Amino acid sequence: MFMDISAGGLPLTDTDVHQHLWPESLIAALARRRELPLVRRSGSGWVLRLRDEPEYRFDRRDHDPQARRAQLERDGVDRALLAISSPLGIEALPREEAGPLLAAHNRGLLELGPGFGVWGAVALRPPLAGDVDELLDAGAVGVSLPAGALRSRSGIDRCAGVLERLEAHDAPLLIHPGPGPLRIPGREGAIEGAMPSWWPAMTGYVADMNAAWHAFIAFGRPRHPRLRVVFAMLAGGAPLHFERLAARGGPTGGLADAGLFYDTSSYGTRTIDAVVRCVGIDQLVYGSDRPVVSPPASSVLGPAARKAMVAGNVARLLGRKPVVAA
Amino acid sequence: MIDLRVERDLTREELRALASDLAGRPGDWRHLVHHDPKLRTYAQLRRDEHVAVWLICWMDDHDTGFHDHDVSCGALAVAEGSVIEERLALGGSPLRQHVRAGDAIDFAAADIHRVAHAGDGPAITINAYSPPLWRMGAYETTSRGELRRHSISYVEELRPLGGLAAPGSTPPEGEAVTSGTARVAAR
Repeated sequence: MFMDISAGGLPLTDTDVHQHLWPESLIAALARRRELPLVRRSGSGWVLRLRDEPEYRFDRRDHDPQARRAQLERDGVDRALLAISSPLGIEALPREEAGPLLAAHNRGLLELGPGFGVWGAVALRPPLAGDVDELLDAGAVGVSLPAGALRSRSGIDRCAGVLERLEAHDAPLLIHPGPGPLRIPGREGAIEGAMPSWWPAMTGYVADMNAAWHAFIAFGRPRHPRLRVVFAMLAGGAPLHFERLAARGGPTGGLADAGLFYDTSSYGTRTIDAVVRCVGIDQLVYGSDRPVVSPPASSVLGPAARKAMVAGNVARLLGRKPVVAA
Repeated sequence: MIDLRVERDLTREELRALASDLAGRPGDWRHLVHHDPKLRTYAQLRRDEHVAVWLICWMDDHDTGFHDHDVSCGALAVAEGSVIEERLALGGSPLRQHVRAGDAIDFAAADIHRVAHAGDGPAITINAYSPPLWRMGAYETTSRGELRRHSISYVEELRPLGGLAAPGSTPPEGEAVTSGTARVAAR
């Protein structure tokens, strides 16, 4: 193993910070639902139906823990951090509906054992700080929130209790595409207009991640100075817009914020390299988004960059050591 | 992090002044010094959209190989020990200078140079780049004497893996030689 002095000189685990696995208990709970989101058998496979996205066919074998462990080995990583698939909108359901689904998700993943770590998922109506305590006590590495819940000042305010509690525990936050508790007009058009399956990932997800990044640096960071945050999908490319942000009089500190990390999910050499130019390699972590996509190789920038993204930077994100010595 | 407000890209002269100033303030970085005989070690002291500053610890035969900095100019100030800088000169020996504690050098983005530990005790340098390092060129010569430039991410230069840092070691998976191993036989 590689020794990275920035992580305290400890041997490091190679980690993929962004995967999804739907435990059997979650699929069963979604199959019992009569309202969206839900899953149903469809021919030889399964289908997921959501409120604002086209129907999504899936294979349950993609969510088999043993098969996933074998995939980790093929990917050359020691473990994957599993997050809820926030686009399902589970967190944004009324608490009484969200509760059983979140419990099935969190418990199902926390029981998986070796090879996996868990981003705990919390309900949003309302978000409760006590849920953070419970998840971290149960072994979650941190908590994930959908970008839609954090895409505005009021969203950051509403989630302040959760963010404060994470900060107090020195545990990180994952911001992943997905709806918040408030509907965004026009999003349902993805279904009405029979848009292709890739449409939400290239429009709503990008817009929400971009908004969440700007909301965090403008309204979140002043209130939560020590919180470490990892943005999925390079924050929708938000850091690439910093010159425009500066030109419009916005806060530019986000670019040099050692507590903000970016996962590489679905991006390849050119975009990752462009973000490295803006924020530096120390802020990038490897996230594959399996099984939603088959990711580009994690070594796109060379072996030292890969090692930084799967090991040293992940260790700082997860709190093995202060982000940067003062 | 070093507290520094910079509103624009810096010139090489400004970078040299910045690096020299920091080299004279060990209280700001002493806690980050870590010498490893296997490879240079690095700690980022400052990074924003205009400038990146690193503390670099050198010992034994640490050597960057010949490289350029693509679009960034830079400066290096020696805080402790000493290093050798060589500028590549075709058809002749490299232009060589010994940079000792208290001295500093600066370089343009287009300059091709290598820096190596000068022997004796461990060395500490403060390196500043503006705009922050991004892509770099690492040079090798083939057995026929052709000069080749490899475009690499700055990470491969500043965070080399153990195997890449040792001059003359075999690159992994038969890849092209990267900066850590790049050696130009022009000395």
